[in-house]
Amino acid sequence: MKPIRSSLVAVTVLVASSGCTSTDGADAGDPSASSRAARPGPVFEVGAAFPTLALPALEDGRPSSVADYRGKKVILHVFASW
Amino acid sequence: MHVPGWHEATAALQDAGEVQMLGIIQEQHPDRARLFMQWKEMGWPILVDSYNLLEVPYVPITVALDEAGVVTKLLGPLQDEGPLGSDFVAETFPAGEGAGASPPVVPDLESLAQTARAESSPESWRAFGDAVAVWGGPDRATDAIEAFEEVVRATPDDGLAHFRLGVAYRMRYDSEGRRDADFQKAVAHWGTALEIDPNQYIWRRRIQQYGPRLDKPYPFYDWVPTAREEIAARGDVPSPLVVEPRGSEFAEPVEAFATADRPVAEPDPLGRVLRDDGEFIAVETTAVPSAVPPGEVARVHFTFRPIVEQLAHWNNEADDMVVWVDPPEGWDVDSPMTVYSVPPEMVSQETRSVEVEIRAAPSAEGDVTIPAYALYYVCEDINGVCMYRRHDLDVEVSIER
Repeated sequence: MKPIRSSLVAVTVLVASSGCTSTDGADAGDPSASSRAARPGPVFEVGAAFPTLALPALEDGRPSSVADYRGKKVILHVFASW
Repeated sequence: MHVPGWHEATAALQDAGEVQMLGIIQEQHPDRARLFMQWKEMGWPILVDSYNLLEVPYVPITVALDEAGVVTKLLGPLQDEGPLGSDFVAETFPAGEGAGASPPVVPDLESLAQTARAESSPESWRAFGDAVAVWGGPDRATDAIEAFEEVVRATPDDGLAHFRLGVAYRMRYDSEGRRDADFQKAVAHWGTALEIDPNQYIWRRRIQQYGPRLDKPYPFYDWVPTAREEIAARGDVPSPLVVEPRGSEFAEPVEAFATADRPVAEPDPLGRVLRDDGEFIAVETTAVPSAVPPGEVARVHFTFRPIVEQLAHWNNEADDMVVWVDPPEGWDVDSPMTVYSVPPEMVSQETRSVEVEIRAAPSAEGDVTIPAYALYYVCEDINGVCMYRRHDLDVEVSIER
């Protein structure tokens, strides 16, 4: 078993270069262009603040974010158990 | 089991309080991650991002943050032996953009809903949808569905909204508030999301979790039984799961589609068994993916639930339940007859799931209905009559054009 999967990833490593943050081709004047590609979303990028989006804590469902850990060095692991 | 190398490398730093570990999970069922963490004795705080609000393109990603919350290192999936040890702790970093921002506050969901209904713009619906997805939880999945339906209606090429809509539908399907076709709608919207961005790893894995074995890279939750055994062996109680993984979530990948080795006799070829037309057992049928190219495989999920309003319940004193699938000419099924072993109790009221895989004919086109039926013993109420019933089922599979 291999819950933290680390294989078969056909994408580049740098998140900031992935399509999910691209605004290429966006047409702000066209309502249909208000799409995923046209909406700059959260960015993981060296040198930028990590998104402080609030998410429920697994422990108790209460709101939390990486901002709660300011003042400490943090190693953040984004993963899934599948 | 694979735990990133840096986890051990930084253990002493964690113990000394010099580094804070934090996890964010991309999971439809976050309680499974809780079991996993318990099993591996990893006690970090975990944030749940079932809807992928962070727009994570794949997992795992490891991110080192300095004291101001600024990203100083990014490690991708093939680099988890990376340099995140004492050098990271000793290093000082310049404050980056956004450093010092205030922590977020919980949004006013009712206000966002009013704004969305008043403005009726995709942006306002998206804002409400994202907020209620996080802060409403499964209890407000219907609100999230309404919001994301409005978003995809206005902006049908919004892959994120389709993915999130699928998450909300599946979340409601897993709740007591489920409605007809919730699971099928989830699969359909995940499929649309993937058509929009075929490279989105998280979206692809969400479909593969429920899809055919040919399309699976690995069994997804095969670790669950081992985790429970090892936790129990330590004298602890395994963290409970709200939704048990099953079928496709355990299935081993295969390299070729295979059918049954020998012919199986149809259990009710003349259709003589008395019908249950849904009075006693509600059945939901979902094909994953919703549409397949000719010659490709879909995994079909049959879910059987006794209708509690009728006090219906299974009778387990006689034969097992069977599901028969009769594919049209040119189509194949991996197992035409699936036997569901009934539990040892004389009567029961559990939800039963049966999964089969169907391969479309190479010449298939359009929307195809595949006949199937289930045979089972069901009782009308606690002291009522128990009958052997046949439940006719239609499996709808669309062929991609």
